[in-house]
Amino acid sequence: MKRSRLPLLVTIAVLFFFYLPIIILVVNSFNASRFGTGWQGFSMRWYARLLHEPEIWRAARNSLVIALGATALSVVFGTTAAFALHRFARSRLQRFHYGLVYTPLVVPEILMGISLLMAFAAAGVRLGLGTIFLAHVTFCVSFVAMTVLARLQDFDFAVIEAAQDLGAGWGTTLRKVFLPLIAPGILAGALLAFTLSIDDFVITFFVAGPGSTTLPIRIYSMIKYGSPPLINALSTILLTVTFTAVAISQRISRSKG
Amino acid sequence: MKKRPILALLVLAAAASFVSCGRSTPVLNIYTWAEYFKPDIIRRFERENGCRVVIDTFDSNEAMYAKLKAGASGYDLLTPSSYMVSLMSSQEMLQPLDHGLLPNLTHVDPEYLKIAIDKTMHHSVPYMIVNTGLAYLKSKVADFVPSWSMFDRADLKGRMTLLNDMRETIGAGLKSLGYSLNSTDPRELRQAKEVVLRWRAHIAKFENEQYKTGIASGEFLLVHSYSGDILQVQRENPDVAFAIPREGTAISVDDLVIPKTSGEVRLAHAFINFLHDPRTAAENTVFLSYLCPNKEGYALLPAELRDNPAVFMNPELRARSEIFADLGADNALYVKIWDEIKSAK
Repeated sequence: MKRSRLPLLVTIAVLFFFYLPIIILVVNSFNASRFGTGWQGFSMRWYARLLHEPEIWRAARNSLVIALGATALSVVFGTTAAFALHRFARSRLQRFHYGLVYTPLVVPEILMGISLLMAFAAAGVRLGLGTIFLAHVTFCVSFVAMTVLARLQDFDFAVIEAAQDLGAGWGTTLRKVFLPLIAPGILAGALLAFTLSIDDFVITFFVAGPGSTTLPIRIYSMIKYGSPPLINALSTILLTVTFTAVAISQRISRSKG
Repeated sequence: MKKRPILALLVLAAAASFVSCGRSTPVLNIYTWAEYFKPDIIRRFERENGCRVVIDTFDSNEAMYAKLKAGASGYDLLTPSSYMVSLMSSQEMLQPLDHGLLPNLTHVDPEYLKIAIDKTMHHSVPYMIVNTGLAYLKSKVADFVPSWSMFDRADLKGRMTLLNDMRETIGAGLKSLGYSLNSTDPRELRQAKEVVLRWRAHIAKFENEQYKTGIASGEFLLVHSYSGDILQVQRENPDVAFAIPREGTAISVDDLVIPKTSGEVRLAHAFINFLHDPRTAAENTVFLSYLCPNKEGYALLPAELRDNPAVFMNPELRARSEIFADLGADNALYVKIWDEIKSAK
């Protein structure tokens, strides 16, 4: 019996649409032409110009600081929330809690951005990295909690009881039994939080203050009035960094398994 | 115990954001378009005034307005377009300017102030001027005439673009009929709609960004475009020429304004004054390919800019051209017509 070629063709077509834009972007970042009108020769000029753009580097640093900070805090909050949601799933309080944690996932971003800005303005908080950080934690917590919760669904709490029967204290149980078992869930949640935070535009735009422009805001304003090839060069660097980071983290998790 | 280093990091990160604001050197916070000031100029201002300049960017007047309106504060200087300046001024969001702190305002080109909305520079000073016009390929467009009627030329069918901007394109239609581009007369607007619909049959599409690539590569032969963009394209393709239609056109001005919420009003005045120093004005003009309307600064520009019709409009044409005004409630008239144009078969 002849196997259908269709799945293969669909796969190729999908991959093509996934990766072709990225390839075009990478190739164009080495194009000497400012408008990407055909190939005007190989050039590193956009990379060289990036070195002289302190504003872009400041934005990149802001993005990184916020993403790392927001990821760390939301992992702590998200994991503890997920634990409570799972452990006491049947209590009425936790069902209400579940609703509260779930809502930010479905609230439109623009609504969240405006309402956060209005809340900050009403409270007289100075806008800046601090407010962006708080806003990012706000939406990241929900994503982490949901990811960890999924992992907890097939977590057997008998293991914890067994550990305590064998004389492990709370600290040891947490460190040696609980955390290693749900680590993949936490890691997945952290990666999700990090990615969401580093490329969030809508919410960040509203809660950003003087001196706290992040990379997405910077890139967005450059598309209209700046030099597009600079963005290509910057994106290529970002891609390289992200791919390397993912590759390293996969290698680490594989060597552990 | 595992979480302690993470928490410490967090506290540090949060603290860093506050500490950086607490230094004693004054900080001027500018909220503007991307790459709107030459970096050397900013550094010079920082040196001369012993301050730090922090630049943040927005991508549209509306986004900036929405943000400030919702309560964002801390910015000392903004660069909105004139129509947004009139809206913000009517909402009392702007600080009146102290002309005693702005001696360089005597250099501002009086010809431009004649058509400006805030003629006395009460709350705004013009910073950069862009003209809308027609860019075309000299070798491909036979018998070019500088007129909006070019969009009626059947031989260029499918190779032209109009701006995807309600006010610009309906404004072009109004200008081609000899009306004001701030017209709110329903009859005039109806006629303008007919003109744009006629043009629509000849153009490839309504386009705001890609026309630069399109005209540089020869895909389009004639595009409705902004002068600053075309100057950049000309550096890559010398066959591209720019002309202002003889019926007159739209002039867009971005102004320097100080919001009421500014905490560094004096420093913001010093910056406005600094930008209208003839030397700074000329340097910024060369860097941006737009025109800073500074009369003394014109003499310092290289000849290629001074003789370029994309930068300097001849006085007769300028007299026929206009700046977009904020139309308030009458804006709805334009929105309705624009919807009809875009959705027409």
